[in-house]
Amino acid sequence: MTCKTFLLAALGGTLAASAALAGEPVTFQLDWLPGGDKAPIYVCIDQGFCAAAGLDVTIASGRGSSDAISRLAAGSSDIGMADLGAVMAAKAQEDVAVTGVMSVFNKGPHAFYTVKDTGFDSVADAKGRRIATSPFTSSNVYLPLVLEDAGLSESDLELTKADAGALGPMLMTGQVDGIVAWMTDLSRYQGQGRAAGREIVALPWSAAGLDLYSASLIAGDGFLAGHPDRAERFVAAFRKSVDFCRTNPEEAAQSVVNMVPELELDDVLASLNDALPLIFNEVTAEDGLGVFEPGRLAETWGRVAKAQGLEEAAADPESFVSRAYLAGGEG
Amino acid sequence: MQPPPAIRFDRLGQVFETRSGRVEALRNVSFEVARHEFLAVLGPSGCGKSTLLRMIAGLLQPSSGAVEVFGRRVTGPREDIGIVFQKPTLLPWATVEENVTFPLRHKRGRAGRPDRERAQALLRMVGLEGFGKRLPDELSGGMQQRVGIARALLMDPDILLMDEPFSALDALTREEMGFDLLRIFGERPKTVVFITHSVSEAALLADRVLVMTGRPGRVMTELPVPVARPRGRETIEDPAVTGLAAQLRNLLLQREAA
Amino acid sequence: MTLSIEDAAPRGQAAARRPDLRRMLAAPGAAALLAILGTVALWELAARVLGIPGYLLPAPSAIFATFPSIGAARWGSHVWATLRVALTGFGLAIAIAVPLAVALVRSPVLNRTLYPLLVIVQSTPVVAIAPIIIVVLGAGDAPRIVITTLICFFPLVVSTATGLAATPPELIELSKSLRAPPIREITQIRLPFAVPYIFSALKISVTLSVIGAVVAEFCASDAGVGYFIQFSTSMFKLPQAWAGLFVLAAMSLALFQAVVLAQRLLFPWSLPRKP
Repeated sequence: MTCKTFLLAALGGTLAASAALAGEPVTFQLDWLPGGDKAPIYVCIDQGFCAAAGLDVTIASGRGSSDAISRLAAGSSDIGMADLGAVMAAKAQEDVAVTGVMSVFNKGPHAFYTVKDTGFDSVADAKGRRIATSPFTSSNVYLPLVLEDAGLSESDLELTKADAGALGPMLMTGQVDGIVAWMTDLSRYQGQGRAAGREIVALPWSAAGLDLYSASLIAGDGFLAGHPDRAERFVAAFRKSVDFCRTNPEEAAQSVVNMVPELELDDVLASLNDALPLIFNEVTAEDGLGVFEPGRLAETWGRVAKAQGLEEAAADPESFVSRAYLAGGEG
Repeated sequence: MQPPPAIRFDRLGQVFETRSGRVEALRNVSFEVARHEFLAVLGPSGCGKSTLLRMIAGLLQPSSGAVEVFGRRVTGPREDIGIVFQKPTLLPWATVEENVTFPLRHKRGRAGRPDRERAQALLRMVGLEGFGKRLPDELSGGMQQRVGIARALLMDPDILLMDEPFSALDALTREEMGFDLLRIFGERPKTVVFITHSVSEAALLADRVLVMTGRPGRVMTELPVPVARPRGRETIEDPAVTGLAAQLRNLLLQREAA
Repeated sequence: MTLSIEDAAPRGQAAARRPDLRRMLAAPGAAALLAILGTVALWELAARVLGIPGYLLPAPSAIFATFPSIGAARWGSHVWATLRVALTGFGLAIAIAVPLAVALVRSPVLNRTLYPLLVIVQSTPVVAIAPIIIVVLGAGDAPRIVITTLICFFPLVVSTATGLAATPPELIELSKSLRAPPIREITQIRLPFAVPYIFSALKISVTLSVIGAVVAEFCASDAGVGYFIQFSTSMFKLPQAWAGLFVLAAMSLALFQAVVLAQRLLFPWSLPRKP
């Protein structure tokens, strides 16, 4: 394909797409690169939920929660995903202009990954082990808390920081005894482990008592003030998409691959299946999808404040979120 | 009324402020050059010879005294003066012909057909006929300097300033270039101020030789060359020329000994 | 990069006329190609014999196998995304650097005030300010182009200014004595004399522009070879990431050679003469 024909094709595609989706524009901010755990927004576009709500959504990938939050606050994106704990820290310290509008992960995705049968079977076993973590993950914030719950502190382990892409290989080659990563990566790490002849197990921190809201739908305050109606329609369409992911995971995974051809269906589906238990679980059954339940919200803020060394009384946990945009969210 | 001399230096002095302090380059320099006279300037290195040329061209203002060209005091750059530098300093991207027409292209922005024809004539005169389309680095050092001379003659200046123009050439080429200059100025008389280190070159080419002292530069003496024109290859053997060369060499050696 | 800076083509052609093995090896292009092929062969051998796991260092055969599976259209779109940013940033850097260098040479005041500022800008790691630029300039190519320009314009300013100042002083005196318009001193004397300096900086800057585009893509983008590498790494598709790396190296090399070719075609006199 020559450059020119490629350009023409790209231009034609753009024109066709914008003609078909001549809705109100919304820029959606991911907190990381595309993947199965981000399936809902791809479902919303590919399955037409966004278009049905009169919205023309474009996706911008991000490089971590803090990157996503600053772009939402700056207004270069309208609404997106970020860790609610990071939002709380940012708002409490810098009064950053973003607000949580819907919970997505109501459990923390954070976990230790270890090799099976090495005696590292619980968080308490981390004592004296070599553990690697990525420098930018929000998990680092909660690490001292989960250790403290197990009667440990960071000085009890040998902690090294490494690029996210290097963590898997470090674990497989035995350079470290465990790594800090998210539950949404379980299938990937297990697949990588199989290739290296190792069985990988995950020790989720939620099982060790770290119960909190994590990845959430976060909107820029400028967007909420300027287009409250658009925000409300988006949240409804997004919620419908999240539900679709549970009932039709294969189709949802296919939607992701349709939009991001670099991904492979099996990987996407595996990652989505890893993520679903963080979205749909006993908490969801009790409170409903997307809801910020006041008790759990206060618990999350308490954990964040402690982890960041902030005064818990300095902020009202309710000030970090708004329930006005989630239909039926009040009930 | 007597017409004014082509160039007149009147009690000229020059002081430079340098990082290491004041340097007096020239002191009380007075001399004249008549129209169509060929004046050679001899002197030790650093005696301010090149500074004299810059002042005639108006590129440098004296600290004291004055320079006059055709009776008018020099206050800024003058374009009726051609300059030939020690190195040819041609434009490496331009052809020989374009290098010759460069002063016109530079001043007016372009060169017309008559200018190119003039360049061709000048190239013929300096012995470079047929080399117009070559690039400078395809030519020898002597040929490049001939292009430099043709460039200086393009605007047909009354005054030509030559700053040790042959010093970078080998001895044989240098002698050859000297004879060529005699022929060129025979065809087309000019007022020339010619700076050189070579006593025999000065004696062969000039009507008059100005000898300068070391820093601060002053006029030590002026000697006429008692040989009629036209001069040619045989002139170099002329006892008057060899005698003058010997006299000049002694003057410079005495000066160094003192 | 193993290819020599010296352009390979003229001597390479001469060698082709006489098919003599020693001559062919003497051509810098052929020697470089052989060195690359040798390295790849050794790498493949090491990967197989030593059994290095694919997630640590994939074998070249595994890397090359990803090229067809990604497909020409997707490679094309990533390469175009990176190339577009790199070339626009590079072009912008030239458009800023050359007039700036002229201003620095013309004005001693600017030289004293602006130059230290430029050094400060240059010594600030662009990688560190890239996220800030992205937050300020938002989505789209704009922040990536600015990052690329910031990375590749400094060598251009310094080299162009050096070249403009390295003009033979005699020609400047000639220009003054002709009382020519000052702009022609720049266009007819100083800039042409700076061409060799500008081109040696262009050769550095064009490869920096690819680095700049990739740095920007690492911070924010949804397409491009840098994004593709980061994305592949995060998906544990190491052979795919390496393939992206090869494509980047090939892009840098092609751009470098394009600059070499441009100089040979447009300014042949500015090349050092071959003995």
